[in-house]
Amino acid sequence: MGPNYFRSKTPHLLLLTCVLTTAAITLFFIAFIFKTALPVFESEGIGFITGTKWSYSEQVYGIRIFIIGTLVMTGVTLFLAVPVSVFTAIFLSEFAPVRVAKIMRPMVELLVGIPSVVYGIFGLFVLENIFQDKIDPFLSGTLGFIPFFHDPSPNSGSGVLLASTILAVMILPTIIALSEDAMRAVPFEYREASFALGATHWETIRKVVLPTASGGILAATVLGMMRAMGETMAIVMLLGNCAHIPSSVLDTGYAMTSKILNDIGYYCAMDEPRSALFGIAAVLFAMEIIFVAVARKIGGRL
Amino acid sequence: MNKRTLEGHTFKAISYLAAAITLLALIGILGRITLEALPSLSLYFIITPESKVPGLGGGIANAIAGTLLLSLLSTALATPLAVGTAIYLKRYAKPGTLVRTFGFLLDVLAGTPSIVLGIFGLLFLVYYLKFVTGGFSLIAGTIALTILILPVIERAAEGAIDTVPAELEEASYALGATKWGTVRRITLPFALTGILTGMVLGIGRAAEESAVVILTAGYTQFLPEFKVLPREGFLFGMKIYPFQDLAAALPITVYRSFEFPHLIPASNGFAAAFVLIVVVMLINAATRMLLWRSRIG
Repeated sequence: MGPNYFRSKTPHLLLLTCVLTTAAITLFFIAFIFKTALPVFESEGIGFITGTKWSYSEQVYGIRIFIIGTLVMTGVTLFLAVPVSVFTAIFLSEFAPVRVAKIMRPMVELLVGIPSVVYGIFGLFVLENIFQDKIDPFLSGTLGFIPFFHDPSPNSGSGVLLASTILAVMILPTIIALSEDAMRAVPFEYREASFALGATHWETIRKVVLPTASGGILAATVLGMMRAMGETMAIVMLLGNCAHIPSSVLDTGYAMTSKILNDIGYYCAMDEPRSALFGIAAVLFAMEIIFVAVARKIGGRL
Repeated sequence: MNKRTLEGHTFKAISYLAAAITLLALIGILGRITLEALPSLSLYFIITPESKVPGLGGGIANAIAGTLLLSLLSTALATPLAVGTAIYLKRYAKPGTLVRTFGFLLDVLAGTPSIVLGIFGLLFLVYYLKFVTGGFSLIAGTIALTILILPVIERAAEGAIDTVPAELEEASYALGATKWGTVRRITLPFALTGILTGMVLGIGRAAEESAVVILTAGYTQFLPEFKVLPREGFLFGMKIYPFQDLAAALPITVYRSFEFPHLIPASNGFAAAFVLIVVVMLINAATRMLLWRSRIG
């Protein structure tokens, strides 16, 4: 064991310390969330997830309304965002001239750089009026006979559709960038073989490029969905924060993240309500962990 | 025109339309934010802390200072951990279940909803560790943001290490260099550009975060001060400014225009948003210039 031995051993130990610290922080963080949430799971059982009543005074905590609020909002968001972003990705990787794509790509990345709270006030001060005066009356006027498009609150623009529109813009760049990567990764020989068989450009895209890239596109969608589900600030401002299950896309709702943010400041010092609020976070976290596993399975890194 | 060409043209048109919608959304949002910000945007607004203006709003120097402190400190804390972890995972650890589990753990951390990290910070850093952090404080916010951006920088560093050509490292080993010697002289210099890019991403991510910051750093109308005052109940019996003091941040200034709509004009919020976007873009541009020059010189 000469001096050289220690010279190459010390860095190794230092690096190992980095890894162990990172692991310790992550595991402690995850354990802390679930442990603080444990009492509410013990006292409420499955009723915590299926119950519709949330009352601090009666000590009943059920979060079905918030779970459904989050899911409805996320669903509408994906419905709006996925077609636009996948077709934009097709444009960038298949149709756009190299120069156009080169300019447009950084511009799309710029959208990622806009903070979520900015999207929030943009939706609140700019889009809300437009939704209230134009889009909501138009939708409920033309499609209002379908309960899904009925407008229960004509005097307000906030609601699922407003929140989802803003969320959709927020997750566009994520889905566009990752889907485009997946499409570009399709070997050029595949396309040439398809052209050689007489397929048109679009037929090649639909039957060769999209199926080959589908794993990447799906992973991109899952990541965008996770971003929408975990978003807090913009949703607090736009969803309306009414504790009921939204009856239509124009109705207000309450998301899991907004419930936590709105209440944690008042109840952080009280054991039981605090545990209940951490319970919402734990459920959200568990959903997220499942989606991370799914995304990794279908071949995308976050 | 037959059916196949028609179908091709239709979907080509749809793709162009989708791209146009994306661009319009971007230009519309940035343009409208600038327009709404104009009434409040002035040099006075930028260099005056809110505490020097009567009432609420009116100045954002406190928030700019807080955002710079929070994002730079958390990046400084996160970078050594992240880069060390990346080097170990890529060059020292044997690939296997353990490394894959670790990758999964980092992915979970990267995908954590910010509110979950926020309430962790609120309860653990602000309440339980109050005697160390001073409650809502710059240091609590910095630690929470460090956890937030750790996976961002780690991921960028891993990607950067992946781009190092194996031939270069093999040549170094062939010359008799040790593992650490190779990592330090070959791998790290080659991956430096990518690591720096990761740090910039980290700074940007920390600067734009709001949910975590509002639950850990709080908000203050005052500029950060540098002083030490005796304080009972704190570690060492004193309060160290600015670390154990409240910190402001630009996203929180934006949020306050939503919280107090009748006290703070909306244009104040938009102006803070505008400055925030410009700051993040400037950091990006500056790094790109730096990297570009270092590559040429």
